[in-house]
Order: sequence, then C-alpha cells, then structure tokens
Amino acid sequence: MSSRTAQLKRDLTGWIWVSPWLFGFLVFLLGPMLVSLYYSFTDYPLLEPPIWTGLANYRRMLTDDTFRDVLWRTARFAILFIPLATALSLAIAGLLNERVKAGGFFQAAVFIPTLVPMAGSAMIWLWMLNGEYGLINQVIKAVLGWAGVTGPNWLADSRLAMASIVMISLWSIGQMVVVYLAALKEVPDEMLEAAALDGMGPIRRFISIVLPMISPVILFNVITLMIGALQIFAIPYIISAATPGGDPRSMYFYTMYMYDNGFRYGQMGYASAQAWVQLLITLGLTAVMFLASRKLVHYRS
Amino acid sequence: MVGRRRGGLARAFVYTTLVLIAFIYLMPLVWMIATSLKTQTEASRGTFALLPDDPSRIFQNARDNYTAVWNDPVVRFPVYLRNTLIIAGLSVVGMTLSSAIVAYGFARLEWRGKKALFALVLATMMIPFPVIMGPMFLLFSWIGWIGSLKPLWVPAFFAGAFNVFMLRQFFMGIPKDLDEAARIDGCSNWGIFWRIIVPLSKPALAVVALFHFVFVWNDFLAPLIFLRNQDQFTLALGLQLYQSKAGQTPWNYLMAASTLVIAPVLVLFIVAQGALVKSIATTGIKG
Amino acid sequence: MSDEAPPSPLGQMTRRTALGALVAGGIGFAAFGPRGAKESADGRIVLDYWEKWTGHEARAMMKLVDAFNSSQKRIRVRYLTTAGIDQKALISIAAGDPPDLVGLWNYNVPQYAETGAILPLDELDTKGEVRAERFAQGFRPVLMHPDPHTKKERQWAVINTGGVLALYYNKQLFREAGLDPERPPRTIEELTAANTRLIKRSKPGSDAPLERAGFMQTEPGWWSWIWGYSFGGSLYDAGNDRCLAASPQNVAGFEWVQRTSEELGVEANKTFKAGFGNYDSPLNAFLTGKLAMVVQGPWLANVINAHGPKDASGRPSLDYGVVPMPVTADLYDANHPVGLIDCDIMVVPRGVKHPEACMEFIAFLQRQENVEAMALAHYKSSPLAVSSKAFLENHPNRGILTFDAIAKSDRTYRVPRTRAWPQIKDELDAGLQRMWSLERSAKDELAMIERRSQEYLDTVEAQRKQRGYGRA
Repeated sequence: MSSRTAQLKRDLTGWIWVSPWLFGFLVFLLGPMLVSLYYSFTDYPLLEPPIWTGLANYRRMLTDDTFRDVLWRTARFAILFIPLATALSLAIAGLLNERVKAGGFFQAAVFIPTLVPMAGSAMIWLWMLNGEYGLINQVIKAVLGWAGVTGPNWLADSRLAMASIVMISLWSIGQMVVVYLAALKEVPDEMLEAAALDGMGPIRRFISIVLPMISPVILFNVITLMIGALQIFAIPYIISAATPGGDPRSMYFYTMYMYDNGFRYGQMGYASAQAWVQLLITLGLTAVMFLASRKLVHYRS
Repeated sequence: MVGRRRGGLARAFVYTTLVLIAFIYLMPLVWMIATSLKTQTEASRGTFALLPDDPSRIFQNARDNYTAVWNDPVVRFPVYLRNTLIIAGLSVVGMTLSSAIVAYGFARLEWRGKKALFALVLATMMIPFPVIMGPMFLLFSWIGWIGSLKPLWVPAFFAGAFNVFMLRQFFMGIPKDLDEAARIDGCSNWGIFWRIIVPLSKPALAVVALFHFVFVWNDFLAPLIFLRNQDQFTLALGLQLYQSKAGQTPWNYLMAASTLVIAPVLVLFIVAQGALVKSIATTGIKG
Repeated sequence: MSDEAPPSPLGQMTRRTALGALVAGGIGFAAFGPRGAKESADGRIVLDYWEKWTGHEARAMMKLVDAFNSSQKRIRVRYLTTAGIDQKALISIAAGDPPDLVGLWNYNVPQYAETGAILPLDELDTKGEVRAERFAQGFRPVLMHPDPHTKKERQWAVINTGGVLALYYNKQLFREAGLDPERPPRTIEELTAANTRLIKRSKPGSDAPLERAGFMQTEPGWWSWIWGYSFGGSLYDAGNDRCLAASPQNVAGFEWVQRTSEELGVEANKTFKAGFGNYDSPLNAFLTGKLAMVVQGPWLANVINAHGPKDASGRPSLDYGVVPMPVTADLYDANHPVGLIDCDIMVVPRGVKHPEACMEFIAFLQRQENVEAMALAHYKSSPLAVSSKAFLENHPNRGILTFDAIAKSDRTYRVPRTRAWPQIKDELDAGLQRMWSLERSAKDELAMIERRSQEYLDTVEAQRKQRGYGRA
C-alpha cells in the first residue's frame, strides 16, 4: 500500500468518525441557514409560496420603527444584564472562595435556580412580583408600610418591566458562579500573599493580580452571556402574555418580534432577514470582544 | 486564601452576605413549594406565612392541589410528562453517543481537514437558534415530522458542538499509550473507542448526558414552534398553557404545577450534584 | 461540593440506586404512561378540535362535545386546548397537517381566507344550517370575507360565542358622588362630567394621589383602539385599503383619552393604576370601587359574581348597571346604540379529511339551544339574530338586555377586516400607552400609527399582488 493510499485511508477514517456531526451540520444547520438566507430575500407569508423580492426585507429594517425599538431594547437589556451578572457572579464566587464552611451548600443554593426551566422561572416570578399578593411587595409593605409605601405592579408597569426582566435573569447565574469560583481557586495563594506583604490592599490585589489571571474565563463568560442576551425570549414572552394591562412593548425583544413576524404576522421572509442580522450582530460583537481582549486578557502559556 | 488571616469581623461579613444571598436565591423556590401547600384563600391573601393556617392540613392541601393539577381534564400533565421523558430519553442517548463518536474523531485520529473542521464546530456554537427556526420548521413539515415528537429528538443524534468540544478535551487527556497498545493487539478504532475511551470517560459522558437532559427539559422555543397540538406538548409548554391569560388558575395550583415540572431536575441535581458542578468548573476554565 | 470528602462506598451505592430508580421510573412512564392521542377503537371518525379556552369556559364547550359524541355513533370529536391558537393553527396548516376544527379569533378570518387556509363554510353547509343570516346583523360581517380570486363575499366561519362591549357603572358610587344612578351617562360629555364628579383624592390638588376615579380608557386596556369609534370615527376604509387612524374623529377620540389622563393627573393615575388588581380577582378595580365605570364585555358579570362583594346571604351585592358606551351628543340615539362586536369563531382548515363530519359537528353546536347554553356558561350574549325568551330571562348577567340590544343594533363596529390587523393592533396597543402618559400628542402619535399601519397594509397588498390577487 503506498503512503498516498494510506493517507487517503486515514483521511477517510477521520471523516467517517466525524460524519454524524457533519451530517447534522449540513442538514440541521447549514441547510436551514442557507434556506433562511434565501427566504430573507423573499416575501414569504408561510401559507403561500415565497416570491423573490431582493433586498426589500433588509431595506424595510432601516425604516421599521418597531425593529429599531426591539433592537434598542435588546441592547439595553444586554448592557444592563451582562455587567450586572458578571459583577454579581464574581462577587459571589469571591465570597465562596474565602474558604467558608458549608461552601457546598451556598454554591448549591446559587446553582439550583439555573436548573429551573424558563417556563417555571417565569411562573415563579409572576407570583413573586405579583402586585397584589407577591412576596416582594409583601416585604416592601412590611418594611415600609408604616410610611404608606406600597410595592408597584412590577410586571404591568412599563417603567419597571426592564428591571423585572433583568432581576429574573440574574436569578440564573449559578453556572457562572461555579466557573468563576474554579478560576479563582487557580490563582496561586503565594502571589496574593506576596502582594499583601508588599502592602497591596484587597482591591488593588483583585484588580492587578486576580482579574488578569481570570480574564480568559471572564471573556468566555461574557461572550456566552452576550449570545444568550441577544436571544432572550422565553421569560418576556411568557410574562408579557400573562400580564394583562401592561404596556406590551415594554417587554418586547428582538427574538419576540422575529417570532411574531415569522409565525404570527405571516412575514417569514422578513423574519429570516432579521435572523441574519441577528447572526451578523452576534458574530460582529464576538469578533470585537476577541480583538479588544488581545490587550486585556492575559493568557497563561 | 487571604481572607483566612482576616479578623472575625470580615468573616462575619462574608457569612452574613452568603447567608443573605443563599436566602434570596432559594426563597423563590421555597415560596413556590410553600404556596403549593396552601389553600386557595390562603395563597391569595398576602401573608408571609410559609405554612398554611392550620399546619396539620399541609398533607391534605398537598393532596388536593397536586391531584387537581395532575388530573386537570384540559391541561394533561401526565401526557406532557410522558412526552418530555420520551424526548429527553432519546435525545440524551443520541447526544451522548454521537458526540462521543465525533469527539473521538477529533481527539484521536489524524486526518487532513481536521483543524479547519474543528474550528467550524466551535464557530457553530455562536449561531443563534432563531436564525434557523423558520427553515427548520419548514424542513420538518416537508418531511412530515410536524405533528410528531421527532423534530425534538432526532437532531440530537447528530452531535452537539459544545458537547463535542467538551468530550474532545477530555479524550485528549487520556494517555495515548493505551490505544497504541490496543492497536498492537489488533484493535480497530471502534474497539479502542468502545473498550478504552468510553469506559475511561464515564464521568465526562455522564455530564454530557445530564446537561443535555436539563437542556431538553427546559427548552421552550423549539417545542413552541415544532409541536403542533396539545397532545404532544412538553411540560414546559404545558405549564404555560396552564397559566391561561384570563388568570383563571389559582396560584396554589399554578405553583403546584411549577413544582411538578421543576422537581425532576432538582432531584437529579441532588443525586448528581458533585459531578455536575465539577464539570462546569473545568469546562468553563478550559474554554 | 467544593471541598467534599470522597463519597463513601455506601453513599455511592445509594446514589447509584437512586439514579437507577429514576431512570427506570422514567423509562417505565415513557413506555406505559398515559397517551394523548386516543385513536377511536370503535371505528368512528375522529375529529381534532382545537380551542383557546381553559378553565370553566373550556368545561362548557367540553360538555357540548360530550353531548355530541353521545348523540350519534359515527363521529368522535376530541377537544384540545391550545395556547397561542392562531400561531399553532397557522403552523399546522403551513405544515399540511391541520386539526379538523379550530376555534380562532374573529380577526383571523381575512388572513386565513385570503391565503386559502380554511374552507368556505357556505360550500360545506349544504343543508343551510349555519347561514350567516342566522346571526345578528352586527355579527354577520365577521364571518364574511371576499374570496381572493373571485372577489365574491363568502362565509368562512361560524360564531362560537359572541359579546359586545358596554359601559358598566357602579350605582352606589354614583349616589355617593351625587349623581343620579338611574341616569347613567349617554354622551361623552356626560361621561366626562361624571368622571369629574367621581374623582376622589387623598388631599386637594390636581396631581394629588387618587383614591377613586370615574373612568380610565386604559382599564382594562384590552381594546386600546376603540375610542375614535365613539366619535364617529373608524380605523380602516376597507374599500380603499386605507388606514384612517389619524382621521379627525380618531384624533378627537384620543384627545379625549389624553384629557382624561390629564384630569386624573399623569403621575397620579400611573401610581393609582399600578395598584389595580388583576382582572379576574377580588381586587379588580371595578369590584373594589376604585373605578366607577369601565368598558367591558358581558363576561365581567362572571367576575363580579365570583369575586365581588357579597351580602349577608352570600349573594353578589355589587350595585351596578350596564348601558351602551357613550358617544358624542350628535351621534347619540337610544334606539341605535353603538358598540364593538367581539367574538370567538370556528373554522375548518383546508386539507381536512372529513369536511362533512366537521360540518355535522358545527351544525350541532350551532343549534339555538347549544349556542345559548354556551353563552349562558360564559355569561355572554347570544350571537344569533333571535334570542329565546328563556335565554334572556335566565341569564346570569343583569345587563343582558342592554348587551342583547347592542348586539342587534345597526350601528355596531368590528375589528378592521384586514390581515394586517395583528400588526396594526400591536401598534395601537403601544400607542395608547404613549398617549395616555402624554408623551406625544394624539395627533402626532396617530399620524405615526397611520403611517406605519399603512405600510403594513401596503406590504400585505404587495404580497397579494405578487400572487395575482391584489385588491385593485
């Protein structure tokens, strides 16, 4: 057997082993993506066949106020949620890293909510934030009731809708806490002790030693959060449908508008164009983060 | 680490904060369960009380509420539980097996195009599901799968990017001498995979299985699009159906239903918590 | 977890056993658990009927379904509640696997009819059992839509349950405010004056916290778009496919909305409204007396009876009356009340296997006694042209005669008949909130809504034209 045939055989074996993924990629990912790219250039009411309309869907986005509105709201959610989630999970991980007793319990307490299905999460928070009987407003009443303060109608008040969604999302950051905790454990104690001897305070130690060392993990988590935040759907979808009387647009996000266009308004072509813009935004932001991180992220060899 | 030498005050601060955080994170679940054990009037009265007025009625209330949910004639949770179990069971088997096979190809075999293809695997992790949901739906309706559970489990048999990535990392940590020895004994790739790699990777495979189970259990958007009628609904969809917009559903029932939907993943977590948490930590780091 | 000791062999064992038991239980349930699709074993035709109702509304329909199933031996209907029914129906029809019968919203008819997704009922109804003429005249247009190709009006649906909107007012609060409880407002001017009298604040001042209001157009907020109709306006000119949101009448209607908000105090009424309870609860603002008047359908009486105040013997004691929604003075005519018709309809999707069996079930549901039984169970008015005496006498809603009169009036209005309506309605829902909080003037907001809505209409018309059945 010549080395050429041996090489070919090796190649073939490799491709065969990865073929399940390759097949899935072609059929369930690349195929649908290309089809959606095609649809994005058509008018497609779902109940009737698509008709080519060129760039009309993309042009429509430029003048569509609702599109601009959901884009901006989704961005605002991401801008609020990502830093808050990162800071909170780092803080909790930091506390857990202080060699506390029963650390396993605290870690489990923060982690368990991440296992709760979105639908369950939405139900629980509909109940917690209920204007009449919700626990949160009961706490407010008990603490501030003497001053005549009563809790707001959290979910039905358009001014508080974003805050409520961010709050609910912050309930499910347990996975990140676990990851950050593991990263913090990798930071050598000796380095921190040496820095402490040099007279560095805890905040300086955190900024100049801990942060650079865990920066790759932060980058990974921030990108994951960003991808998730741009797709936020289930919680606002369930909650806004379950909250009559609220401003429907106060919880209207990008993927919800896309879903409405595709499956409610009979505008699958327009929805596909929006999907592609979402993909490009995701890829673009990820690329920007990677580029920005070259300066900020410290990789150990 | 550094905190070890700090004074009692600092430690008191750490513990107080942690207790507070644990309280905040667990309270919604505790409140959910507590509400599910109350009567309707108690639930919609607005008190702090965790227990019903007459604590001895707790079992009676539990029976009333949970049987009412379980036996609801319109929203049939037993059917949804069965559907969810079928989807979860099949996808977990499919996902674990196929991801392991693909990961073996990337971790253990040398072939041209491997690097590029692996980069592609990683890149696909960034593609949002909404991008493909429309065409996926049309694809499934074209092959006649809408109206069955297939759209939700068949794709799992074709590996998932993240799982492939995770298992590849794990496989690469297994010493190569083991397969060399087996190869000399005349073992094929399949033999090496099945007799060496799989047995040594049980913890990693278990984690893939667990994660995928939780993912399937929790998924909302895909069932929302692909499942046609109520007989095929999953628990997550059923829960939303149960909470009808008119707000007819009493809170004690709704919380009992939520508890039913959430309980299986919580039990699974309690059984497997160590492995789950450890693996998140390691994959997160390596990522 | 973090610093845990290696698990003891015993712990390992129990853990394995537990996991094994879980998996075995799961597989067992998956294999032998209850199945949804019960295929008929007795050789009957099985019809899947999707409906949006849950709770007591679903139970009322299921009772009729059971009655139908036991009334004959050929067909079995299965009632399935489906969330987001219009999306689910659209998806299943697009997928070529539709249910046999769907209970939709009345605004779905244009989209489904134009795209050929549903069967024309006038063709199926060979025996003439469910002709549009059976329904009260205000309801008939809901069922009709031109066939996209022949442009001929056809009947596409029947009405399951119907309702009209009217004004509920609290007589007790009218007395307290020095208003005549037997002389409720008839015109917008009178409604505004009554509102002024009914406003109660915790301290003097035009923006002081509210304790009671007379009327708020945002409560319950389900019909954000109707206010111009009380001024003689309309949102849509079907003949020319034009959106009329910014017409002078609509501007006048929404300026009235803004005046109400201003009179109540923008901040004060926001805080006030944040304290309103859910619709179906004892804390519904109309039940607690926070709001003296509200525009609602007949179904509100169900909430009043279930959650409202009770007298010593446990009977509902809220003292209220129901009158047609007031209109401008020049429009007022006691014999021809103005009101919105809102109803639930039933259609047969294209591609069903047994259309004639579907028709048999529809005809059963549409018998007068069954239509009225449904209406009674839902507290709604009857959509039929003629209501039986027993129906009107036994109805649990004390305003039934008012509702019945509006339903039979010649001045009712309906949701605009265009398939772009879901989008237009979403615009108006959001627009009402902005106008209510005085962020923009009604004129500007409505001009913007009209522009956007016209874009939606044009998009839809372009879709039709591309497919060879444009309106023009």
